[in-house]
Amino acid sequence: MRAILFCLLASPALADIPEAVQDHILPGYAAFARASDSLAAVGKTCDVRALQADFHLTYDAWMAVQHLHLGPGEDAGRALSVLYWPDPKGMGAKAQKALLAGDPAKLAPEAFAQQSVAARGLLALERLIWPADTLPADPCPLIAATTADLARVAHEIDTGWQDYARLLTTAAEPGNTAFLTRAEARQALFTQLATGLESLSDQRIGRPLGSFDAPHPDRAEARASGRSARNILLALQALRAFTATLTPDAPLTLAAFDKAIGQAQALADSDPVLDGIATPGGRLKLEILGQTVTAIRDLVLAEVAPEMDVGIGFNSADGD
Amino acid sequence: MRLFLTTALCTLALPALAVEKTEVVAHYADIGLATYSDALTTAQALQQAVAALVATPSEATLQAARDAWKAARVPYQQSEAFRFGNPVVDDWEGRVNSWPLDEGLIDYVEAGSALNEENAQAGLNVIATPKFVLSGAEVDATTITPDLIATRLHEAEGIEANVASGYHAVEFMLWGQDLNGTGPGAGARPWTDFSATDCTGGNCDRRAAYLVAATQLLVDDLTEMVGNWGPEGAARKVVTDDPTKGVMAILTGMGSLSYGELGGERMKLGLLLNDPEEEQDCFSDNTQNSHYYDGIGIRNVYTGAYTRVDGTVLQGPALADLVQAADPAVDAELRAKLDASVAALGAVKARAESGMAYDQMIEAGNAEGEALIMGAVDALVDQTKTIERAVTALGLDQIAFEGSDSLDNPDAIFQ
Repeated sequence: MRAILFCLLASPALADIPEAVQDHILPGYAAFARASDSLAAVGKTCDVRALQADFHLTYDAWMAVQHLHLGPGEDAGRALSVLYWPDPKGMGAKAQKALLAGDPAKLAPEAFAQQSVAARGLLALERLIWPADTLPADPCPLIAATTADLARVAHEIDTGWQDYARLLTTAAEPGNTAFLTRAEARQALFTQLATGLESLSDQRIGRPLGSFDAPHPDRAEARASGRSARNILLALQALRAFTATLTPDAPLTLAAFDKAIGQAQALADSDPVLDGIATPGGRLKLEILGQTVTAIRDLVLAEVAPEMDVGIGFNSADGD
Repeated sequence: MRLFLTTALCTLALPALAVEKTEVVAHYADIGLATYSDALTTAQALQQAVAALVATPSEATLQAARDAWKAARVPYQQSEAFRFGNPVVDDWEGRVNSWPLDEGLIDYVEAGSALNEENAQAGLNVIATPKFVLSGAEVDATTITPDLIATRLHEAEGIEANVASGYHAVEFMLWGQDLNGTGPGAGARPWTDFSATDCTGGNCDRRAAYLVAATQLLVDDLTEMVGNWGPEGAARKVVTDDPTKGVMAILTGMGSLSYGELGGERMKLGLLLNDPEEEQDCFSDNTQNSHYYDGIGIRNVYTGAYTRVDGTVLQGPALADLVQAADPAVDAELRAKLDASVAALGAVKARAESGMAYDQMIEAGNAEGEALIMGAVDALVDQTKTIERAVTALGLDQIAFEGSDSLDNPDAIFQ
């Protein structure tokens, strides 16, 4: 019966788009912009201890919205300039080395905004305030430029979303060429959820997991600052919150999220940078978490998608 | 089951179609066969040019081989529209078109450039090293064969950057590293790198052997794919066994190549990283052509028209006909957007031909280059939206869920 209704009604009576925008997306970006302001203020002082504390707060705030790859975050590569990871060829470190030793004019705001995304953002800052080796020059000017640029980008996204939110919430209204139907807007949001789970599984979990014979804790995200497992936990919490705003009726999915969040919390407490995965017992924990995330993705397709009357949609991670 | 019903009912609700899905997917498979057949014949021409190069190395024979490589890219890139959505193609693709590569695995590179913290073999240099250890086992590479490349070297130690086979490995053999950064100029490998009498770069006999073997392997792999699109071929069956799924595969191929792959991974990311190695044909500076023919290929499979290498045109029942019958406005919009992306990719190609190479376009601060590339990226993203509208217009938007384990047993996770 429900199947027939889906065909006849253009959109099921669900309050999904406004909730996701008002309760999840906009507050998330606003909090990220506030955190980045504080970080930029400390960036001018170059007080490393204070920088490290604000780095964590800003990274935490980004994790609440990092799964959103549409609109102003996607435009002009802004999201990538906040977090460029993974970087297997070390392009970020290479570009930063050139900036540290090069023309200071490149650190001026407009010139710095043109630099490679690999040399900007949170992980670029991490390499400066938790340096692996002695840095070739005084990092303070580059730290100031990096934190100021991050705050600029955060505000561009926050401001841009005021308009983009309107496009989503006025889908199907005359003059809205971005979303011709409400289903298109729901589709765009649902795709973020499905892609967010896929990227969590492939990247944050899959990269360090490697294969049984060759685990790679060294490939985990944000190891220098000790955030690898925490980021997995925060990604799950953010995706759960997002799901709850998209549909009020997805009990199986939300329960699976809770299970995964419990597993991720235990991991964050016991093995913060995933060094333990080099042992069979430690590896098993991350493997089980990975399986739970895969199961959530299946559930999202089986339970959330029909509730929202959408399919998977194309996404920016469709390539290799 | 519920979702399957949704699809069936929505499909039934559509008006009667002048062109049947079965005809559309059959013609689509015919275009697949023609495109891969053209990729094969142009690769065989490349193989002949490579044979001439290693038999009598000279500036002229090297240039002829390079020209043949570029010609071989034209049909192959158009075939990329067949990749996503068809596992038979997608699982095979890594053998022939992997990129980017740690080319130091294969041959000499500039000092300090063979760096990849995740790849211990980034500087292996097989051409200079007849015996070496991979994954803890000794490899005897005294004789360089297609089998050695395919089974021992390609993706060695499970690392994707260890690209030993395919177009880009051959490209590296023919051009060498492009050491001009974001300045003008492509790779400049001298013909003497293949000369027995005036050998430069060392191990010219092994270099020639590698080039010959890698080209043979490319021909073999393409031969296999031509078979996959033949009357009983596996790739053809994927799209013809269930025409509805076949139509979805056409749309998936168009959308995934437009957005995630070409618009995203290959074009936008390169621009954001400003790294000259972030162009797909980075040794030959042929990237503008490879991107352009991707765009043409996406349009081919929508309009059901393919212009073969010999100039003949294959035309028949098309996805466009199905969309036109379901929603003429969506069809008109999609046709216009496909033309717009081809035009934008054509503008990149034209500018490269008039003197600004693709790697120069992605240099930090090159506003003209950025505008050209972003023009194409925006057009590709824009057309993806309309591809999604076509999916909806055809009532296919729930198709992808079939076969999900959790659909039949959502409680599995808690067991």
